[in-house]
Amino acid sequence: MNRYNLLIIGIIMLCSLLACQKDKPINPSVDPPIEAPYSPTPYNLELPDNFLLPDIPADNPLTVEGVDLGKRLFYDPILSGDNTQSCATCHQQAFSFTDPDQFSLGIDGLRGTRNAMQITNIMWTQHLFWDGRAIGLEQQALEPVENPIEMHETWVNAIEELTANKDYPTLFYKAFGSKNITKELAAKAIAQFERILISKDTKYDKTIAAGSGLFFTDEELNGFDIFNTERGDCFHCHGSILFTDNSFHNNGLDSTFMDIGLAMISGKENDTGKFKTPTLRNIALTAPYMHDGRFQTLEEVIDFYSEGLQNSNTIDPLMKNVHKGGIQLTAAEKSDLLAFLHTLTDTTFTTNPEFSTPF
Amino acid sequence: MKNFKVLTSFLSVFALALFMGCDKDAESGTISLSFDHKVGTETLELENKAYQSLAGHPFYIYRLKYYVSEIELYQADGTSISFENIHYRDIADENTRMLDLGEIPAGDYNRLTFTFGLEEDINIDGGLPNTQTNVNMEWPIPGDQGYHYMKFEGKYDLNGTGELKNFNLHTGATGGNQNYVEISLPISAMNVDGNNLSLLLEMDLMEWLQNPNTYDFEEFGAMIMMNQNAQTILKENGQTVFSVADVISN
Repeated sequence: MNRYNLLIIGIIMLCSLLACQKDKPINPSVDPPIEAPYSPTPYNLELPDNFLLPDIPADNPLTVEGVDLGKRLFYDPILSGDNTQSCATCHQQAFSFTDPDQFSLGIDGLRGTRNAMQITNIMWTQHLFWDGRAIGLEQQALEPVENPIEMHETWVNAIEELTANKDYPTLFYKAFGSKNITKELAAKAIAQFERILISKDTKYDKTIAAGSGLFFTDEELNGFDIFNTERGDCFHCHGSILFTDNSFHNNGLDSTFMDIGLAMISGKENDTGKFKTPTLRNIALTAPYMHDGRFQTLEEVIDFYSEGLQNSNTIDPLMKNVHKGGIQLTAAEKSDLLAFLHTLTDTTFTTNPEFSTPF
Repeated sequence: MKNFKVLTSFLSVFALALFMGCDKDAESGTISLSFDHKVGTETLELENKAYQSLAGHPFYIYRLKYYVSEIELYQADGTSISFENIHYRDIADENTRMLDLGEIPAGDYNRLTFTFGLEEDINIDGGLPNTQTNVNMEWPIPGDQGYHYMKFEGKYDLNGTGELKNFNLHTGATGGNQNYVEISLPISAMNVDGNNLSLLLEMDLMEWLQNPNTYDFEEFGAMIMMNQNAQTILKENGQTVFSVADVISN
């Protein structure tokens, strides 16, 4: 048999194969259309120069398809036990992705003991939840779905529903190259969406930008000084462009602790009463305040830091005025500090359609 | 032609011998630094252990974070090698203990110098990459720029009564004074010849509070970021906080 014979046989076989395929009965309602090859588009994240470098895990790079899927999952009640609640139920864009309710209501009418955390510039946060019990957004996203006082679903159920859905298998394929939906991939997609929730257009951002031609008012400027010096000493925990150190502190809320915070996770007595520092971006929109939502207004929060501090064994060394109850601001200083905090409001962020519901 | 071949062979052998000879005299090595801590004669234990300051206050140490830069190693003949590394040390993070400086030329080294803190060209806003660590070390005080050089935080017992007050020994540039500390440490018996060396550095935290100036937490108060008198005292005391505890050669 020479090589020409082989070629001819090969061509005949190929034709037969193609013919077979052509002859196969096609039922378009059962067979999905032939997929385009898996080729996700890298998501172009634009950050100002003075922002932190992007912090994205190597095994979950941002893609347009991943972010789109994540946004859909974030807003879809399909992930809750009775299909009535989504992530967005308690993390509402208008409130910088937190809940104005002190303790969010779960699908069974139950409430927890901590205020929903804000999802804003969360990309740079490694330890999630007020007590830091989740490491990384991918791990965090798994919990509320199964939490009995929150979405009260099982992932097994949720995955079944997603798999049976007419859109999700294709969306997962586009995002991850697999129609085999898993909770890990769902969490990866949600994490991708959460990483693009970046606030960078506050009055503060615009004013400090070189050559902006914008200025703080006298009150805001004085508030800025109070914030960024040891007069108010806010910046040691709420510093940098993120307005959080992403660390844990006992800021003097209580002298005895019903909720021990970080100590519950670390098992260390010295961590009693320590909670995650929240960002102050959009702080005017994220009432109520503190891990337990005990303060309704920013005025109350400032009064607390000024004269309401409680001492305890685990008070953070940064709370240097705890022995006199706080930083003792005058009424004018309080009002100036408040004015500065309002420069951290970013309505571009809370109205950005890119972050809004796709439904 | 035959003669030429012989000549070439001879030259090759000679060159090889020369090369091997040179090699033997000049094998480079590697060097790393480690940053450990003590408090006077005692080991460093965070939060639970009380130390006694010269100013008379028992005190507890909670946090210590700092930058070291401008690292340079000197040989006895005055030649030196400098390193671009800027090292951030946080005693709560074991990953920051070691600094691998890579290759170092052969020779007998007898001195290590570095800057505790950051010098003017780096100590500006955005002078370091915007990592979470670096932005947490920012020094945002209006008019002053750059980063904290050190955050040394804890609590002290005001009257020995158990009533604790907090202290933050934060150093950095303020009011136009740079305040970084130039450290120069003698090293004994550090010969580089194909070996991997580790210099074990030790910071004695007690030195910040007593040598040559007695630093009293109560005198300066908890907050010293805009207090140049306190910064000056700490800059002077900083000269003696480091020592080379050991040189390990493998």
